[in-house]
Amino acid sequence: MKNTFKLAAIICVAIMFVTANMAMAQKAGGPWTVPAKYKAMKSTVKAGDASINTVGKETYNKHCKSCHGAKGLGDGPKAANLKTSTGDFSAAKFQAQSDGDIYYQSFIGRDEMPNFEKKILDEADRWAVVMYMRAMKK
Amino acid sequence: MMKKIYLLLRISALAFLTLIISQSVAFAQEEATEDTIIETPKERPVRPAFESGLLFDAATTTLQPSKTLEMIIQHRFGIIDFDDNNTDFLGIWGVSNIRIGMNYSILDNLTVGIGATKFNKMEDLQVKYRVIQQTRSNSIPVTVVLYGVAGIDGSADTKWEDSYKFSNRLSYFTQAIVSRRFNDKFSLQFAPGFTHYNAVDSAYNHDRISLSFAGRYKFTPQGSFIFSADFPLDIEGIKDYKKVDATATVYDRPNICVGFEIATSTHAFHIYLANAQGILPQEDIMWNKNDFFKGQFLIGLNITRLWNF
Repeated sequence: MKNTFKLAAIICVAIMFVTANMAMAQKAGGPWTVPAKYKAMKSTVKAGDASINTVGKETYNKHCKSCHGAKGLGDGPKAANLKTSTGDFSAAKFQAQSDGDIYYQSFIGRDEMPNFEKKILDEADRWAVVMYMRAMKK
Repeated sequence: MMKKIYLLLRISALAFLTLIISQSVAFAQEEATEDTIIETPKERPVRPAFESGLLFDAATTTLQPSKTLEMIIQHRFGIIDFDDNNTDFLGIWGVSNIRIGMNYSILDNLTVGIGATKFNKMEDLQVKYRVIQQTRSNSIPVTVVLYGVAGIDGSADTKWEDSYKFSNRLSYFTQAIVSRRFNDKFSLQFAPGFTHYNAVDSAYNHDRISLSFAGRYKFTPQGSFIFSADFPLDIEGIKDYKKVDATATVYDRPNICVGFEIATSTHAFHIYLANAQGILPQEDIMWNKNDFFKGQFLIGLNITRLWNF
């Protein structure tokens, strides 16, 4: 009788553990609906501009790195606590998006991805971050 | 001693002005090149000179955008006592001071705040207004901010004995802060201030003028070395000036802070050494008797948290 209780308890704990892990697994974010106004935007910072590795890098490290990771692989220390995967900025799929798509996703955001319009105020500084993410391409 | 401090202040002010002027020339040329690359015709403000609106116990010229709520926790442990017999541990077991405050940005250039501090049960109201902002083209070389703090001493009425009136509890601090972000790493600010206490012990003055300096050197994208110093001035020409009696405790030591700042998207953390144990600026400028250079300092910690609406 005692052993039956033990067995039942172990099975219960095992079921709880497995279901909890299933619930914790991150989902990939669904497709983004980017308004036409943003989609058409073009970066005012050109590839190779000096601001990419100064302003872009500094701003990315301050605001983005904790979730997206230093190289944009989605492995920042806070990423594991999110319900949605943060994606991989070095992947071809991410890099194939337009400047405006990346701008909208980065600064307007949705759900767990916060809005950064009030944290990064200057337009050119935002583009320096987009171009810094572009440079993460494999 | 005071003559030496005046001389030091004059030299510092001159050096600060020279730096601003020389940087203005060099900066203007650099920015012209940057502007042509990014093709942005309108005047752009520089990024803030400091990561947070708070630096130790001082205000900086940084203001958060409108509709931002900021929570501030400031903590100062007890004075570190290097006496062999003392059983304290770096002041951590000593009497500590703490303040909790909330700031709210009504406009992009106007922030108001409230707070409560442990020592003297102080409650405070604060206001900060940005008059002009440094631009990237260097057409405006500095940011200028006006800052005011009204403190209400919440001690029992008996502290003022028979002459108690509510107005005895009030103290004020006002400051004009001028800062310059020299480059992505280095910023400095200079701030003359005026402190007034409605009621003080008969041996002391009600008013005091001070000069404050602060700066930061950023050595990683999130980490900076930070420093500040408030110099209380003993000016005989000030209204109702009274020379403090040699037998009374003299509260005229500069308030010096040095430490590190870690800034993230929503937080700023400071860990530092300081010698004044007050947290409100008027308390530190009016009532500090600890001498930093005689080892009379303490460990301080600050945390700020931002919410945007």
